[in-house]
Amino acid sequence: MRPDPTPSKKNQEKQVNTDTEPLKGTFTSVLLLGAFIVVCWVAVFALFLNRA
Amino acid sequence: MLRLKTEQTNHVQVDKPSARLSLAFIIVAFASLSVGALAGMLQGMVRGGVIHLPSWINYYQILTAHGVLLGLVFTTYFIVGFLFSGMARTNGGSLTKTALRFGWTGFYTMLIGTLMAAFEIIRNNASVLYTFYAPLKAEPAFYIGSALLVVGSWLAGYGMIANYVAWKKNHKGQRSPLFAYMAIATVALWQVATTPLAIEVLFQLIPWSMGWVPTVNVILSRTLFWFFGHPLVYFWLMPAYIGWYVCVPRIIGGKIFSDALSRVAFVLLLLFSIPVGFHHQLMEPGISPAWKMIHVALTLIVVLPSLMTAFSMFATFETTGRAKGGRGLYGWFKHLPWTDVRFFAPFIGMLFFIPAGTGGIINASNQLNAVVHNTIWVTGHFHITVGAAVALTFYGIAYWLVPHLTGRTLTKKANRVAMVQIVFWSVGMFIMSTAMHYLGLQGVPRRTDYTDYMNNAEALSWIPWQRVMGFGGGLLFVSAVLLIGVLIYLGKFAPKGNEEYPIGETDGEQYTPAILERWPVWLSVLAVLIILAYAMPIMEQIQHAPPGSPPLRTW
Repeated sequence: MRPDPTPSKKNQEKQVNTDTEPLKGTFTSVLLLGAFIVVCWVAVFALFLNRA
Repeated sequence: MLRLKTEQTNHVQVDKPSARLSLAFIIVAFASLSVGALAGMLQGMVRGGVIHLPSWINYYQILTAHGVLLGLVFTTYFIVGFLFSGMARTNGGSLTKTALRFGWTGFYTMLIGTLMAAFEIIRNNASVLYTFYAPLKAEPAFYIGSALLVVGSWLAGYGMIANYVAWKKNHKGQRSPLFAYMAIATVALWQVATTPLAIEVLFQLIPWSMGWVPTVNVILSRTLFWFFGHPLVYFWLMPAYIGWYVCVPRIIGGKIFSDALSRVAFVLLLLFSIPVGFHHQLMEPGISPAWKMIHVALTLIVVLPSLMTAFSMFATFETTGRAKGGRGLYGWFKHLPWTDVRFFAPFIGMLFFIPAGTGGIINASNQLNAVVHNTIWVTGHFHITVGAAVALTFYGIAYWLVPHLTGRTLTKKANRVAMVQIVFWSVGMFIMSTAMHYLGLQGVPRRTDYTDYMNNAEALSWIPWQRVMGFGGGLLFVSAVLLIGVLIYLGKFAPKGNEEYPIGETDGEQYTPAILERWPVWLSVLAVLIILAYAMPIMEQIQHAPPGSPPLRTW
């Protein structure tokens, strides 16, 4: 049995509204974060290759 | 109606018995931070060649004091105190009698252990660093004290579990409060992760330091240590994540982005932060490459919940900023409460966690680990992880938690000084850790007293950067002094009042799968993962044990 009560119609509407709010900034931020990780990883790997 | 409900639920006061227990832990935490910060500044000055220590104290002694007091004592006490307060806050303001009894027993057990270990460090009988790597040998009282610190934290954890069970009994069929759920996940991780440490200390180090056995199996002791050592990082991070997921949304006037996502992240942290210890031992013999590769793969899985956390935080900030009128790609950014230290401190901590997490991925990758292993890069990584991401979040929490527990308020003036403190800490940590990362990439070793390697030209070129490290350490110490000053003011002298204990809520009802709260399922999966990752290699280390090592005292 699911512990939550079934969401009311009003809350379901609210949920839909929340989901459709734009999260463009979030999407861009996580892409930049991913790019930062990749760039740093590649830079240290390049250092490894140079020293090897 | 929803707003009314929010207002009511956010004015719950933690009652006096629970507040006293939380405060006891938090006072010891910040007392140890003040001594540990002093030790840290002295280290930085010594390493930069700025000062020389008097003959009655040595570098490795203050290095041990710094690591133990900040890495183990400050963090553990603060976390236990914070989690107890949150358990009380989400349980109508009080802890059950059983929880209080376990809490106080745990507190005194931890205190006795801490004093025993500190006494041996002060006597210079335990300069074995916070990892107490064999074959460096401390006096038995240091190990016994460390064991009591762990046992005490277990007892405190049982208190939280008792409180959680009581809540579940009184709220049958209901989803537990997010704070309590996350606290229990953290307690579960701690109970599992510290078990091999207790085995190492009880069955290897204490008999060996007592002289009952002549030698110790070094590789086994290190494996048992890192079984604990990596989840230790998550034991620090998970309470900081609680602050980010649960408290920060309320502080900024927003909502928790997703209850289910938050719980999934904590389940993943519980499952994947433990069977990964070999990525700390990639350069060690005695462990086959295949097992190392399995641990590296599992380590990279634990990146996932941290990335989920990053997404969730960005989303909370963006939805809140947009609700307040922010437009465009990043227009929402300026609508966040930048002058409120309760938000500013953890936010800067989140920023530090971006390079910290990236450094963690680099450390855990086999070839890249060869570049940075045992260099001061690792020290830099460690400092921006626990010393910035975690510590700044804990400071931000302490600024509202201490006045809440003492029935006082965070005044505007105190908030301003606290903001300055956070800026000092951030700038100091940025300067120090950047120098550490830069030097580490050049191969400068960690855990080393000042030396110019007999006037070696290359080693001499490192000294200016080591001075930069020392300067950063100086700023951090100034910041620590400010921090203690503000906390004393908030605890003793600030105006009486009701400081809010911020607990965020989701936007309306959200569906969360019930399986996320079925702990036997997750603990069973965890057991399977641990057996898969550790059973064979530990058996090999016992069956094909290398020659044991007699104790060494290098100081």
